[in-house]
Amino acid sequence: MRKPSWNQRAKTLWAAAGILLFFLLVVIGGSFCAKRALVSDFSAVNCPPGRAHLFGTDWLGRDMFSRTLRGLSISVLLGIGTAAASAGIALILGILAAMSKRLDAIVSYLIDLVMGIPHILLLVLISLAVGRGLKGVVIGVMVTHWPSLARVIRGEILQLKEQPYIAAAKKLGKGPWGIAVCHMLPNVLPQFLTGMILLFPHAVLHESSITFLGFGLSAEQPAIGIILSESMKYLILGNWWLAVFPGAFLVILVLMFQYLGESLQRFFDPAGFHR
Amino acid sequence: MKKKRYHILLTICLMAGMAAGCGKTSQESKNGAETLQETEKSSRAKEASVIVTMPTSSEPEAGFDPVYGWGAGEHVHEPLIQSTLLRTNEKLELEQDLATDYQVSEDGLCWTVTIREDVSFTDGEPLTAADVAFTYNTCRDNSSVNDFTMLKEAEATGDYEVKFHLNRAYSIWPYTMANVGIVPEHAYDESYGTNPIGSGRYMLKQWDKGQQVILETNPDYYGTKPGIDRVTVLFLTEETALAAAMAGEVDVAHTAAVYTQQQPKGFHLFEADTVDNRGINLPAIPAEERDGLRYGNDFLCDVRVRRAINLGIDRELLIEHTLQGYGTPAYSVCDGLPWYEEQGETAYDAAKAQKLLTEAGWLPGEDGIREKDGVKAAFTVLFHPEDSLRQALAEEIKNQLLELGISVTTEAAGWDVAYDKAQSQALVWGWGAHTPMELYNLYHSMEDGLAEYSPYHNETVDDYMDQALASNDMEESYELWKKAQWDKRTGITQEGDIPWIWLCNVKHLYFVRDGLAIAEQKIHPHGHGWSLINNIDAWSWE
Repeated sequence: MRKPSWNQRAKTLWAAAGILLFFLLVVIGGSFCAKRALVSDFSAVNCPPGRAHLFGTDWLGRDMFSRTLRGLSISVLLGIGTAAASAGIALILGILAAMSKRLDAIVSYLIDLVMGIPHILLLVLISLAVGRGLKGVVIGVMVTHWPSLARVIRGEILQLKEQPYIAAAKKLGKGPWGIAVCHMLPNVLPQFLTGMILLFPHAVLHESSITFLGFGLSAEQPAIGIILSESMKYLILGNWWLAVFPGAFLVILVLMFQYLGESLQRFFDPAGFHR
Repeated sequence: MKKKRYHILLTICLMAGMAAGCGKTSQESKNGAETLQETEKSSRAKEASVIVTMPTSSEPEAGFDPVYGWGAGEHVHEPLIQSTLLRTNEKLELEQDLATDYQVSEDGLCWTVTIREDVSFTDGEPLTAADVAFTYNTCRDNSSVNDFTMLKEAEATGDYEVKFHLNRAYSIWPYTMANVGIVPEHAYDESYGTNPIGSGRYMLKQWDKGQQVILETNPDYYGTKPGIDRVTVLFLTEETALAAAMAGEVDVAHTAAVYTQQQPKGFHLFEADTVDNRGINLPAIPAEERDGLRYGNDFLCDVRVRRAINLGIDRELLIEHTLQGYGTPAYSVCDGLPWYEEQGETAYDAAKAQKLLTEAGWLPGEDGIREKDGVKAAFTVLFHPEDSLRQALAEEIKNQLLELGISVTTEAAGWDVAYDKAQSQALVWGWGAHTPMELYNLYHSMEDGLAEYSPYHNETVDDYMDQALASNDMEESYELWKKAQWDKRTGITQEGDIPWIWLCNVKHLYFVRDGLAIAEQKIHPHGHGWSLINNIDAWSWE
């Protein structure tokens, strides 16, 4: 009997499945905890982690386990949404760039413009301009995260344009949109997918950062950024659990997605097919 | 100063180490800290200097210029660097500072004040009636933080006599005279805020913006010589102030109830009584839209609902939960002040509150929340996102009102939107000042027919306050201010319209180095900052 071969591709698939399952659990668990994360109980404030409260409680007696889980689920949902939207923008601009010289100049200029401003600064400004809150975060993250991916897609397409079969398609009378959809899109899809997944960690961390700085989600929401900024006041009292658990889980979440993205990159790499 | 920051950071790390519980080492370092505290204390006592911390919000943005709010702005305190015409003592009675006498005309429209002749500014120029007139006229023209619309003209009628002509009678004008620091006409320009010249007890020695202010005594001061020669004020957050006290770097650290369990070695807790109150506004008219903004609230516009909420809040429990007991129940915006009407005090009575709600037609639904015609008994309480106490109060209100069958949602709102939102929803506010004008600002209707911060209108209440301002006898005006609150028929208290619900007065807490005697404080107004050192000249090291 042959042993199942655990090559890189199988491993990647299994890991991806496991990670996706974890995210699903976080999101489902988070939605179950949505109510509990907001309940304050002044008879149990500042409890260290224990049986009744796995991750302890904060200064309002709120259960930190529920809050952490809810915060992570908010992060996952926001991260996926904004990463997808941002990648979408990147794809559209990347394809537009390949259409004509003039469009290419405009898109390149846009990329340089957004990349030239420090990420977090631009995020804060945009979030402030559209009125903070959920809307501020979503729009802010969406319109700041596309440039690097757009640049990759543009480069890829410029290279494709020189390919003989594209020239053949052109001679056969296919219009620029037809070429883009039929011949170029399938070619840049792998880059697009991995790029989108690699955007996710950035989106999550930036969402948490601007929320932490007070320009993001509203203070009554149990987002990780809010939890961490609230914990600052109580660390001096020795309430380490307020920051350690939410912080650690945020890092784990981000690392998992990073891993997922990187393995997908290898997965799509034709040269690594037999690894 | 950069170095100091590192010290504070280091202390935090150290403390985290202690908290982790390494028994012996922590004992040793504590002993070390004790000797450190002792040497710091003796050196400070020798110099008669004090280092005090204040919240970062206490740093005056526009500098030490009374025209732009120094001492007389949102947070009222003695200007220290400048003299005022009058001043208030520990019992809030008016005393003379620069003024030797003041009189008001029969119609209340003209105040005549004579001032001392022996006072000069720290640059040597004498302080005359012209400077006083200049100060008030400049305030009238420029002050954005204080109301000077009642002043028509200040006029120097002699070298040492000044007349204030008012547009309308304003019986509490002496409280304005107790707030406004007098600036020199000959040395006043745009840079005055950073280079203030005054005639007060102290001079500004140094101001490092964003960090510290150093005051030193004015050697030519006309009054009693201050007991403390040098005051350093550091602007820190509560956490860093605590860390600085633990490191022995400050003598007085402002703090909050949550930190009281972490009392630094060699320090004791000082509690100052306050009218620094917290309360919520309840929009008292049915919901409507004006100019695109929502006003009023259909649930809260029923006076029985407002009364039930006032009855159903257990203030003692609330103070225990949110302030660890460091507060007193509040029943008005001016508890304990001379114009306070005591009949507004309302005992906690949940049964009566339940009855009122039932009478009003709000009956318990299946989930325990009351309903009327299919509408849930629910409203939103807003709080400022960076104020953990206000958030805790909002949460506590939510928990307590749930027992009555009212569903409260808590929501953060920064000051950019809070004022607008409070026109239709409840917001946790902080007030408390040494002037009855605050009653006017909260309850008196404006030109559009509604009070400024929360929609409310009562003709009788308005009338009493107008009369109080028009009175030319201060004592008599106090009675009118009281009647505005409750005249045995109508008013703003429990039996009246109750458009605001007052929760607690927050005690101002400080860690004070043992051996430093803080003089008796006047009841602190809103603002945890400069009030403490109003009488710093009377402090002493033992």
